[in-house]
Amino acid sequence: MFDFLWPLFGRMHPLLVHLPIGILVFGILLCFLPKKENHDFLPTIRLAFLLGGVAALVAGLSGFLQYQFEGFAWEDVQIHLVGGISTALGSFWLYVQAKKSDRLDTKIKVSALGLGLVMTVTGHLGGTLTHGENYFTEVLPADFQSLLGAEIEPEKGPQLPEENWENAELYAEVIQPILNKNCKSCHNPRNKKGELDLSNLANLLKGGEDGLVLTAGDAEHSALFARLILPKEDEKHMPPSEKPQPSKEEIALIESWIKTGAKENQTLAEAGIPRKLIERFILKNQTPFYPITQMQPISADSLADLKSSGFFAEAVESGSGLLKITCTNFPEFQDKDWEKLAPVKRRLAYLDLGGTQMTDVLLDSLAGLPNLTVLKLNSTAISGNSLEKLAQLPNLKLLYLNKTQVSLSQIQALKASKSLQKVFAFDTPASTELPNAGNLNFPFLFEAGNYSLPKLPTDTIVY
Amino acid sequence: MNSLEKLFAELAVQKLQHQTRRHFLMDCVSKMGGLAMAPLLFGCEPGKLSKSTSGLQLSERDLNPLAPLPPPFLGKAKSIIYLHMAGAPSQLELFDYKPELAKYHDQACPESLLEGRKFAFIRGVPKMLGPQAKFSQHGESGAWVSDYLPHFAKVADEVAFLKAMHTDQFNHGPAQLFMQTGSARLGRPSLGSWVTYGLGTENQNLPGFVVLTSGGKTPDAGKSVWGSGFLPSVYQGVQCRSKGDPVLYLEDPSGMSRDLKKNVISAINQANQEDFETFGDPEILSRINQYEMAYRMQIEVPEVMNINDEPEYMHELYGTKSGEESFANNCLLARKLVEKGVRVVQLYDWGWDTHGTDHDGSIDMGLRNKCREIDRPMAALLLDLKQRGLLEETLVVWGGEFGRTPMQENREGKQMGFLGRDHHVDAFTMWMAGGGVKKGTSYGITDDFGFAGVDERVSVHDLHATILHLMGFDHEKFTYDFQGRPFRLTDVHGELIHSVLA
Ligand code: HEC
Repeated sequence: MFDFLWPLFGRMHPLLVHLPIGILVFGILLCFLPKKENHDFLPTIRLAFLLGGVAALVAGLSGFLQYQFEGFAWEDVQIHLVGGISTALGSFWLYVQAKKSDRLDTKIKVSALGLGLVMTVTGHLGGTLTHGENYFTEVLPADFQSLLGAEIEPEKGPQLPEENWENAELYAEVIQPILNKNCKSCHNPRNKKGELDLSNLANLLKGGEDGLVLTAGDAEHSALFARLILPKEDEKHMPPSEKPQPSKEEIALIESWIKTGAKENQTLAEAGIPRKLIERFILKNQTPFYPITQMQPISADSLADLKSSGFFAEAVESGSGLLKITCTNFPEFQDKDWEKLAPVKRRLAYLDLGGTQMTDVLLDSLAGLPNLTVLKLNSTAISGNSLEKLAQLPNLKLLYLNKTQVSLSQIQALKASKSLQKVFAFDTPASTELPNAGNLNFPFLFEAGNYSLPKLPTDTIVY
Repeated sequence: MNSLEKLFAELAVQKLQHQTRRHFLMDCVSKMGGLAMAPLLFGCEPGKLSKSTSGLQLSERDLNPLAPLPPPFLGKAKSIIYLHMAGAPSQLELFDYKPELAKYHDQACPESLLEGRKFAFIRGVPKMLGPQAKFSQHGESGAWVSDYLPHFAKVADEVAFLKAMHTDQFNHGPAQLFMQTGSARLGRPSLGSWVTYGLGTENQNLPGFVVLTSGGKTPDAGKSVWGSGFLPSVYQGVQCRSKGDPVLYLEDPSGMSRDLKKNVISAINQANQEDFETFGDPEILSRINQYEMAYRMQIEVPEVMNINDEPEYMHELYGTKSGEESFANNCLLARKLVEKGVRVVQLYDWGWDTHGTDHDGSIDMGLRNKCREIDRPMAALLLDLKQRGLLEETLVVWGGEFGRTPMQENREGKQMGFLGRDHHVDAFTMWMAGGGVKKGTSYGITDDFGFAGVDERVSVHDLHATILHLMGFDHEKFTYDFQGRPFRLTDVHGELIHSVLA
C-alpha cells in the first residue's frame, strides 16, 4: 500500500544529494580557513564530517532506490555509486581522524581535499546522468568546446555532389544544413532562443514565441526569412549581428525554398534552383596539386641551411613537408651545388633552376625526385638530348623549358610521362618548328608561345 | 637632461600614446588573471611571469621583414599584377553591353533611378546616354567586348569578368583608397602591403611590392593607395619610374665608389643596430633592411627596369617605346618584375575620368584614345604571361575605383559640350585572369540600363577576399594586431566569389 514511498524516496535523490555536498564543502573549507589557531574550528569540523557522512548515506540510499526503480543501466551508474559510497565512508573516516587528533594536521587537510575531489567527481557523474553528457560544454563557444577535447563536428552546411546535384533534396540536403550551420546553436531543443527550435522541420513548423515563423509561398511574411534580411542594426535581425552571418546564397536559398512552397520533399531541379546559388556547396573532387605525403615540415635549421646556401626555400604551404626551391638569387648555381639539395630530395615539389649554370648532367639527379611537381629549367644550357629522363618523374605536372635549345622531337620523348599536364617551350627551336609540324597529339598541353597581335587600322587613329 | 635621457623620455611618451583603451582593458583582464594564477603555477613568485615575456626573441622575420613565408594554404597564385585605371573607365563603353540603354538615348532619366541618390556632379534630371561603342561577342566564351578594345577582345577567353561590382564611395580619392586598402579613410595597409607582409618576397634584391604609374599623374588618393598603413613601412609599395632613373636617388653621386658606399652603409647599420638593441623598436630593423636592400637594388633594379634588352618582337607585341613613361612600358616591366620574383606589381594609369568637360574627357573621343593606350599592352601582357607559363601563378586584376552613370553628365544642370558620364557606385566591371581564376566566365548581371547590379553583385570586400584566397589566405584569419585589436583587409565583410575560382 505504501509501495509508492520507495520510488518517491528514490526520485528525491537529485534533491537529497545537495545536503551532503553542502555540509561537506563547509567542513572542507573550515580545514583551510587561514587562521593561526585553526584548531579552534576542530569541533565544528568534526560535526560537519559526521553530519555530512550521514547525509551522504541517506542520499546514497535514495540513489540506489532510484537506480532500482527508474531503469538506469548498471554500466552507467556504477562509478557514480562507488563514488557515493566512498564519499560517505570517507566522511566517517575523517570524522574519526578529527576526533582522535586535537589539532588540524596535514594528514587531515590532505584527506579533506581528497574527499572534496571524490565528491566533485561523483557529483559531476550524477549530473551527467540526469542532464546528459555535454550539458556544460554545449553552451560554450565552439572554440572552447574543442579546447576541452569535445569532439564537435563543426556544421559544414550543405554539401552537394558535382554530378546530379539537381536531384538533391532541397529541404533535407540544403535548407536544414544551412539552419544547422547558422541557427542551430541558439535554436535547438536544449537552447530554444525565442522558443524556437530549428533542428528539424516538425519543430520549425511549430514556430516560436511570436507564433509561426513560416508562411509557405510568402517569404516576406515568414520570420524565418524576413529576419535575415533586416538591416544588421535592427535588433530583430537574425542571427544577432555579432554572430557569423549566413551568406547571400544561403539566404537566397531559404527564400527560394519558402517561395516554392516550403515543401519537405522537392529536389533542387523541381524548385528551379540555379547552379550558381549552390556553387559553393558543391564538393569538387579535385585531386590535390602536390602529391600527398606524410612528411613532417622541414626543421628550421635545415631550412636556414638551404637559405644560407643561396636558395629561396619555403614549404609549399604552411605545415607541408614539401618544399618550393628557386634560384632567384643564386644564378651561380652549378651541377656540383646539387649536393646541397640532395638531403631534401624527397621534399622537392617545386624546383626552379631557371637562369642557372646547370647542364644536362643534372637531369639524372632530377629524374629521381619522387615528389617533383613543377620543374623550371628556363634559360639554361640544357640541350634537350636527355629530356626523356624527365618522363619518368611520377608526379611532374608542369615543365618549363623556355629559352632553351630543346627541339620538337626531344619534347616528343616526354609523351611517355603519365603525369605531365603542361609543357612550356617558348623561344626554343621547338617553338619555331611547331607551325610546320602538323598534328603532334601531345597528351599534355604544349605551349610554344610566339603570340603576336597583328596591327589594326584603328591602332593609329587618334580621335 | 642630457640627450640620451631626452630620448628615453620621448620614447616613454610615445609608448604611452600608443596605449589605448583597448590595451588598458586587455591588460586589466589578462594581468588580473595572471596575478591570480601566478602563485598557483609558479609558487608565490609573481615576478616570474612578466620576466619571461619581456625577453626579446627575434625571428628571421624581425631581421629581414621581407623574408619569405609559406602561404597558410596552397594558393594558386604567387604574384599579382594589378592594373588600376585611375579615374574610373566607363563599363558601358567597354564590357557591359546595354542595347536597351541605346533606345533611351537623349531621353530624360526616369525619376525612379534618381530617387534618394546622390551623384558627384549630376543635378536635377539628366538625360540618358546610350552606349557610344559597338559591341560584339568574342572567343569561345562569347564575352561581350566593345570595339574600343579590339586587341583585348582576342584574349577575352582568358579572363573572368565581374560585371556587377559595387562600391560605396563616389569620389576618386576615397574610392581608390577603398579599392586598394579596404577602407575609404587613410591609415589602412594596401592590398599589396598585406600580401607582401603575408608572403614576403622571393627575390631579395628587388622590392617585394613595386608600383608603376602612367598617364602623367599619380592617383588622387596619393601614395597612400600603396601605403603600408599600420604595417611596418617596409611593406609599402616602392614606386619605380619607367623613364629616367627607375628609383629616384638610387644612383650613386659621381665620385662615390661602390666600396665607399658599402662602408657608409655598414657604419649606419651598425649604429642603427645599437639603437635597436636599446629601444627594441622593429622599425629600426626595417630601416637597416632598407639600407641593405637599396644597396642590392642598385645593381638589380636598373637591370630589370631596362626594356632595351627585350627583342624587337616583344616591343611590337606590347607597343613599347623605350624611354617613355607609358602604360605599355609598364606592362612589359610588370612581366619582367614578376618573372624575377617580385610579389606584387601595381600599375596606375591616370586619365579615365570621362565627365565630358573637354575633348580628352569625352566618352566618344577621349575615352577611345585612352583605350587605345591600354588595349594592346594589356592584351600583350596576358599573352606574354601565358606563353611563359607565368599566367599559371600570376593573378592579373583590372579595374577602376568605380563605374560611370548610364546618364549623361549635366554639371550644374547644364548640357555639357562633350558626351560624358558621371561617377557611379552601383555598377561597374572589373576582370581577373591567371592563377586560379576560372577563365572565360562572366559573373554579375546588371539591369537594362547598366545602372545597378541585379544579381551576382560583388563588393570591394568580396573582391579582396577572393584575391587573398587565390594568394593562399583565408581573409577572415589573415590579421594584424594594431591598437589592441586584430585588423583585416576585409574588416568584418567579404565573401569569396566561388563562381570565378577555377
Ligand atoms: C546567437 C544566437 C542566435 C542565433 C545563431 C540565431 N538566433 Fe534566432 N533568436 C535568437 C534570440 C535570442 C531570439 C529571441 C529574441 C528575438 O526574438 O529577437 C531569436 C528569435 C528568432 C526568431 C523569432 C522567434 C519568435 O517567434 O519569437 C526567429 C524566426 C529566428 N530567431 C530565426 C533565426 C534563424 C533563421 C537563424 C539562423 C539563420 C537564427 N535565428 C540564428 C538568437 C539566435
